[in-house]
Amino acid sequence: MQPDSDLEMLMARYQRGDFAAATALIHRLSPQLHRFFIVQIASRGDADDLLQETWMRIHEVRHTYRAGEPVLPWLYAIARHIRVDHYRKASRTAAREAPLEEMPEVAAAPPARSAGTTDLKELLAPLPQSQREVVEMLKVAGMSLEDVARATSSSVGSVKQKAHRAYETLRERLRGGVS
Amino acid sequence: MRDREIDEILKQAAHSAPGVDPAVLDRVARSIGASLAPVRPLPPAGALAGGLVLICAAVALAGAALLGLHGVQKLSVFEDALVFPVLGILICLTAKALAGEMIPGSRRRAAPGVLLGVGSLALLAVFAFLFRDYRTDRFMAQGVACLTAGLLHAVPAALASWWLLRRGFAVNSMAAGVAAGTLAGLAGVTMLELHCPNFQALHVMLWHTAVMPMCAAAGALVARVARR
Repeated sequence: MQPDSDLEMLMARYQRGDFAAATALIHRLSPQLHRFFIVQIASRGDADDLLQETWMRIHEVRHTYRAGEPVLPWLYAIARHIRVDHYRKASRTAAREAPLEEMPEVAAAPPARSAGTTDLKELLAPLPQSQREVVEMLKVAGMSLEDVARATSSSVGSVKQKAHRAYETLRERLRGGVS
Repeated sequence: MRDREIDEILKQAAHSAPGVDPAVLDRVARSIGASLAPVRPLPPAGALAGGLVLICAAVALAGAALLGLHGVQKLSVFEDALVFPVLGILICLTAKALAGEMIPGSRRRAAPGVLLGVGSLALLAVFAFLFRDYRTDRFMAQGVACLTAGLLHAVPAALASWWLLRRGFAVNSMAAGVAAGTLAGLAGVTMLELHCPNFQALHVMLWHTAVMPMCAAAGALVARVARR
């Protein structure tokens, strides 16, 4: 987690054309953006693509960031837009394309993970998309309620409600012994 | 299980998530570096909203002045004091919402759809309270003329608003389209209140108010087409 003022300073320098600031932002913010995409819908390859696309869009619209405003809601609002766009395009493609022949059903190998830890994507999988993104931003990226509300274009009350419902589901699931 | 324990599990799971390939980060940095130049940040949202309010007022006043300020001349001081402040408040709220929709991560007080619904109901309530003449003389002919005039005046308001906000970026293009349409529609309704001398309740409630939702629907449609 980064101090907000530090990110704001880097954004301001990025807007002035400072390459070092742009690189610093990319290296500092990409891991959490990547995790955001992985948790939402994507495979690792998709997450890489979405991450690159997000940075290209951020670069295009970097003038829309206003000095003194928090960086993370601005960044996540753009990332959400990219994710929704990707989902929409993927759905359209899936609707148009039909497989030539039925593929044999092969069970995917479970992802390797260290003992005692739960995979974040798997943990959040039973949650609806809107709750999943709220939990990711609030509890994993460490954003405030106000910041999450800004990023998701909703009210603080709605964010609280989604987080509460998500925790109810997670509590049930964890009690059932997922980890 | 307590919330804190769930927090802890989530944090552990986040730490065990796969990291980003450094090659991807290098590629991103190289792409950005190739076209990196200083940019001029957008003006504050308040300044953009102020510009939008001015556009609405200018279009409504200019249109009414061209067609004749018959409506405002016929209205009583009390009616003036109720109709135009309500329109003014709706224009300010919608302008603020539209400016917010064009700046990612802005604070959103109300969704544009909600604003449209509340705005339409507020206008209907004001018109129902003020105008009690329920005759329907030349209802269709006069109504269609007013609706057309309102919609035609919404077009320059929408174009000027787009020009003012052209450097913005709508993360939710539908919401931005609805907000832009609502604002343009409000410019049309304001022009009609200034110009139209027909204050039969049903005429005002149907044909004047309808400009706003029709423009919002057009805004949503344009956004949908543009998104494809």
